Amino acid sequence: MRHLLDLYDSGLLRRALLEAVLVGALCGAVGAHVVLRRLPFFTITVAHATFPGIVFASIIGLSELVGGLAFAALLVVVIYITTGDQNLDNNTAVGVALAGSFGLGVMLQSTQDGFSKDLTAILVGSVLTVDHRDVVITSVVGLVVLGALAGAHKELVFRAFDPEGAAAQGYPRLLDLALLLAVAATVVATIPAVGTILAVALLSVPAMTARLVTRRVSTAMLAGAAYGAASGVLGLTASAEWDFAAGASIVLASAMLFVATYGVVGASRWTTRRRAIQAVAAA
Amino acid sequence: MLGIIRFLTEPFAPAYMQRSLVISLLLAALSGVVGVVVQLRRLSFMTDALTHSVFPGIAIAFVAGESLFVGALIAGAVAATLLTFAARSTRIDQDAFMALVLASLFSIGVIVVSRHRSYSADLTTLLFGRVLAVDTADIITTAAVAVVALGVLVAIRKELLLRAFDETGAEAMGYSLLRIDLAVNLVVALVVVAAVRAVGTALVVALLITPAATARLLCSRLQSLMISAVAISALAAWLGLVISYDASVHHGIRLAAGATIVVVLTALFAVVAIAQALRTGMARRRTLAAVAT
Repeated sequence: MRHLLDLYDSGLLRRALLEAVLVGALCGAVGAHVVLRRLPFFTITVAHATFPGIVFASIIGLSELVGGLAFAALLVVVIYITTGDQNLDNNTAVGVALAGSFGLGVMLQSTQDGFSKDLTAILVGSVLTVDHRDVVITSVVGLVVLGALAGAHKELVFRAFDPEGAAAQGYPRLLDLALLLAVAATVVATIPAVGTILAVALLSVPAMTARLVTRRVSTAMLAGAAYGAASGVLGLTASAEWDFAAGASIVLASAMLFVATYGVVGASRWTTRRRAIQAVAAA
Repeated sequence: MLGIIRFLTEPFAPAYMQRSLVISLLLAALSGVVGVVVQLRRLSFMTDALTHSVFPGIAIAFVAGESLFVGALIAGAVAATLLTFAARSTRIDQDAFMALVLASLFSIGVIVVSRHRSYSADLTTLLFGRVLAVDTADIITTAAVAVVALGVLVAIRKELLLRAFDETGAEAMGYSLLRIDLAVNLVVALVVVAAVRAVGTALVVALLITPAATARLLCSRLQSLMISAVAISALAAWLGLVISYDASVHHGIRLAAGATIVVVLTALFAVVAIAQALRTGMARRRTLAAVAT
């Protein structure tokens, strides 16, 4: 224990820890909606779509964050307009956008010299090199996104469980667009820590774990945030201890928390059932 | 006219360009056909998950100094099996579960590579491939994998179609859906394996999704879909290689060949989609005008 506390003596690691916890909690909470609306595939696409935006912005000397967000938002709007009422998951337009934006990013990147190092950071994240600005951006994006989700909570849940009822009551489809943009903003805020390829994991795994424990959406958001933050702490500690890639360790930590929770929940259900059977047999 | 022909053929004078063209056309034929199956069965997400899940096998093989191909083959088989079960799970949300499998496997790959010295350069090579650096052995391996994958598809084509169009019927007739799904996912994994050296795990998803999606805009019969998907993919491979060569040699702009092929594919999709949208829009206007008069 003493040794683990010593790990966080350096300011660098403490800032990384703060970012990992912030990102984990934010993704865990937003993830409740990603899992509820079956958006993991869409999330992967948005994450890939930020990639050409980030590369383009850094070539012309703009903020990478702005570039990534602009490109992702553009793509969200195009997908939203072209898909109409179709299901977003497993949608062809989403797949083409995913594959194409990755190609575009790599092509843009290949025109530049010595970009390879940064490319890795974009793809798999680099939480150890986040600066003060990244932490502030994550916090601000988190506050805005969570504020919006909390404000529209009732409508979003209604829309998720009864889309026709929501439409009949006159809730606009724009609500969906707002949710997709909120997911996109979360993805962009996550990229410095875990990168474009692994962002989807933080946006679905902690929320999936939370759903094992509770079925209420609001409770699942809180539990997801807790699981996400815990993944951040565990993953970063493992990475500092054994010199692993940090983003990947955080993702693996979230997967292990899922497996552990699944085991515990499964075991407790099994005991309850056995006790019930024994009670019936005895009676 | 002669100028255009020169522009389209001149890049293929050097032997390495010929080799890249051969392997790209091979992959176009393979992924065009398999891509139609992917679309028919709505497996886009499964395909993306597979491409990421094959990564740890390649990473471990690379660090251990073993053949990338063998590593990819083993990881492909494991990932296809895991993901087939993930997609059938009823207790957990399927797509979230698939995201869990793909991200965990990919993370293992990243961690393995991150322990290696030249981390960044290795990671990008493994993810994006080197189409200009393929050798004759790579071409032979790719051709062999293509023959196996297409052979499996031909062998199970009846069951495959039945499963795609009448799931309940297939089950009632006693076919094991699990086995059919597993076979299809293994075939998709084989395509990823075949493409590892040339376009890498991150770009192969474009070869599997985009040509079939473009073909779907143009026709709907299964056979015509497969033929047009292969043709579109081959055209994009040719144009992509020509453009990347021309930009690098005559204009001093380096363009990664594999990525350029993907961008050409996506551009073709966009052009066809916009043309179709304009056509249906015009047709609707004409009908409205006819009704009004």
